Amino acid sequence: MNQIVTISTGQLLLALVFILIAQASSFIYHLGLNRDIAIGTLRTFSQLFLMGYVLTFILKTSSPFLVLSVFMVMVVSAMFIIKGRVKEKQIPYIIPTFLTMLVSYLATAIFVSGLVVGITPWWEPRYFIPAGGMVIGNSMSALAISLERLFRDMRQQKELIEMKLSLGANYREASLDIFRNAVSAGMIPSINAMMGVGLVFIPGMMSGQILAGTDPLIAIRYQIVVMLMLVGSTAVSSVVVMLIVRRRCFGSGEEVLLSPR
Amino acid sequence: MLMTPLLEIRNLSFAYEGSDALVFDGLSVTVQEGEFILVKGPSGSGKSTLLRLICRLNQPQGGSILFQGSDVTSIVPAKLRSAISYVAQIPQMIDATVEENLLLPFSFAINAGKSRPSREELKEMLIRFYLADVSPSQSALKLSTGQKQRLAIMRALLQEPLLLLLDEPTSALDQESASMVFSIMERLNTEDRKTLITVTHIDYKPETVRPLIYTLAHRSLHLSS
Repeated sequence: MNQIVTISTGQLLLALVFILIAQASSFIYHLGLNRDIAIGTLRTFSQLFLMGYVLTFILKTSSPFLVLSVFMVMVVSAMFIIKGRVKEKQIPYIIPTFLTMLVSYLATAIFVSGLVVGITPWWEPRYFIPAGGMVIGNSMSALAISLERLFRDMRQQKELIEMKLSLGANYREASLDIFRNAVSAGMIPSINAMMGVGLVFIPGMMSGQILAGTDPLIAIRYQIVVMLMLVGSTAVSSVVVMLIVRRRCFGSGEEVLLSPR
Repeated sequence: MLMTPLLEIRNLSFAYEGSDALVFDGLSVTVQEGEFILVKGPSGSGKSTLLRLICRLNQPQGGSILFQGSDVTSIVPAKLRSAISYVAQIPQMIDATVEENLLLPFSFAINAGKSRPSREELKEMLIRFYLADVSPSQSALKLSTGQKQRLAIMRALLQEPLLLLLDEPTSALDQESASMVFSIMERLNTEDRKTLITVTHIDYKPETVRPLIYTLAHRSLHLSS
């Protein structure tokens, strides 16, 4: 019963029926998504196959440098995805965001695999890479949402910020509401996920473990750790990045540097 | 012995970001305490920018601005803007009551030690600013532009600035509201001895004060009267 049912290449291609349905919907209703769906499908196949081969190799390795290099590549990729989504040219946010992501995700992944799960060594790739991947993937989306919101609100509310500055506010006081909104906008999806988990959806990692034959009572423990880890890492990275980037939106005289688009 | 001027601008130059064209080149002016300065000039001549440079909402490319003898760049920005209060052309209100808007400056750390006016004092001030029909508990966002403009000037004064910068305070107002704002400005100078710099592109002739009128032309300020 615990035997895993493998998916043959033919069966895998059969799943493309779902993509055909999506393409048809886009075509019929002129959603303009055909190209994106096609590219997304190709990327899903190519990136996951590549990841599969890399993981097969990495899981057998005993080199912490190789494991950390893979982790580094994941963080750099996440940074490029954020850069593509945020599209901010005026404020230099990329380096502080990247460094915060690297440090906070590394600390979270080490904490989870080394202390909570208690694996020795802490970089054991079977645990460290999936934990790191989940942290990076989740927090990456949160950071993109927070950064987009921060830059948008700073531009839209420039006059209001300047009014507060003119009344003696420092840059932190003048942008407090915007900072709070940006951080919470990024965190809400992780918090909502905690609300709905087990009721509305069964998380991907837990589903995978159950499909692979793990006892559901063990799988839920892993899932709880993952959910808590995601909320914590999202909170830390969002707060730190927003604190640094918000400061960069103001000049040496605490004047607003962002100009309207 | 000569008194230190309240404000001194020396050889100021400024160009907007991404532009080589100088808006100001070698602009110099001195403002003494208690003066009423009127800066005139056509739209786009840089009048608003001049006020924004004084309170550091923009940064100059060259020259220096001294406030009470100290370079403004050496003063903590919040402290500078608590002493030099700037009221923008379009009055900005937070989504709250009139009273909460008026007390906004006191929610900032730099003004924590200043005395907060009571509700009665606020009501008296509202009457003085031709806002007798405005209740402290009503929403500030629902006021007319003219009422908001007077409220914005009143709010700026509550933090007791040494210098008040008014950016086209009547440009969005009808004749009646504009007259009220002009009257308030003149009273602030004659009765309260406030130092004011007002920029305007309209032909305003004060009735009760003798202002120093400057014209912005050729990237510099020129004394007209």
